[in-house]
Amino acid sequence: MGKYDFIIIGAGGTGLAAAMYGARLGLKTLVLGKSHGTELPVGGVITTTHLVENYPGFIKLSGMELAEKIEKHARSYELVTIKEEKVISVKKTKEGFEIKSENDSYKSKTVLFATGTKWRKLDIPGSNEFENKGVHYCALCDGPFFKNKIVGLVGGSDSAAKDALLLSEYAKKVYIIYRGDKIHPEPINLNRVEQNKKIEVVNNTNVLEIKGDKFVNEVILDGDYEGSKSLKLDGIFVAIGHIVLSKLAKELGVKTNEKGEIIVDRMTRTNVKGVYAAGDVADGEFKQLITGVAEGCTAAYSAYEYIGSGKNLN
Amino acid sequence: MVVKVYSTPTCPWCHKVKDFLKENKIKFEDIDVSSNQKAGQEMVEKSGQMGVPVIDVDGKIIVGFNEGKLKESLGI
Repeated sequence: MGKYDFIIIGAGGTGLAAAMYGARLGLKTLVLGKSHGTELPVGGVITTTHLVENYPGFIKLSGMELAEKIEKHARSYELVTIKEEKVISVKKTKEGFEIKSENDSYKSKTVLFATGTKWRKLDIPGSNEFENKGVHYCALCDGPFFKNKIVGLVGGSDSAAKDALLLSEYAKKVYIIYRGDKIHPEPINLNRVEQNKKIEVVNNTNVLEIKGDKFVNEVILDGDYEGSKSLKLDGIFVAIGHIVLSKLAKELGVKTNEKGEIIVDRMTRTNVKGVYAAGDVADGEFKQLITGVAEGCTAAYSAYEYIGSGKNLN
Repeated sequence: MVVKVYSTPTCPWCHKVKDFLKENKIKFEDIDVSSNQKAGQEMVEKSGQMGVPVIDVDGKIIVGFNEGKLKESLGI
């Protein structure tokens, strides 16, 4: 059983940044990945972002490139170990915590939850039946299949807008179908959507059903669009938010809010001593890679202080 | 053994599959379906769906990055 000062659950950008800083502070650090619901590669959810333009130091690069840089940075420290293992339990012990994965178990003085979120799935008739047959969650992955086709995009967030903009590079027409009055991306992306001739926003509308033969060819809306509730299209992408992955933390007695996000203070401390949370799983209102990275570094510092500022390290 | 990976350049799971194959020293043909529509159609016909990655191991089709199924098919 390996002994560590700082175990990080989640190998996304937040967890990797925390590992880098933990090592700088002399903490023997283990990152256990594969905690994302969709089992994304090390690097986490940013790997599914086409272009990142809001990370200082890089004017524009792909999410995958940025994730690889952050991972490389973390791995450059000898005190950092990264294992792609799914964690199944975290328990409090006399000396600290015992973390069990599918493969092994580990002891640590402190624990950081950087477990992030997973995509919320569309739960309507046809959505499971046609998954990957016209119903898709990763525009970056599957968008190229819709060259010169007509696609829909369900959602109204910044991620939804970015997905629609990406899809417009392939498809001849993209409908953003949003349940609210007005989509709410960052102004820079809202402007891009409004200027894009291939994208049409259909507000105040829900998709009720997805229909097709072998593949999707129609969706049924709850309101009329150009006189009909039927909208003919070849594919529908989904960007309707995320589900917080805080189950393991809750089982440890960590307090969460009504959304399931872990409640933390400014130093990323939870209500359980020695336990921290950072990134998308924590209760911050503004969630970007840059904020997650900052929280991860703060968590490493809090863990360092809790252990005794370098006095009782492994 | 003939291994083909149908992928798109930006798909993170595709990278993961290819990294896995490289780590295990398995030779494979990397087929970019974003630039090769004919290959994309072939992938859809073989797998009955449009999600990448799709891995063809001697005619056996695996959809997505599934380490267990990959190991089983590759005999590693």
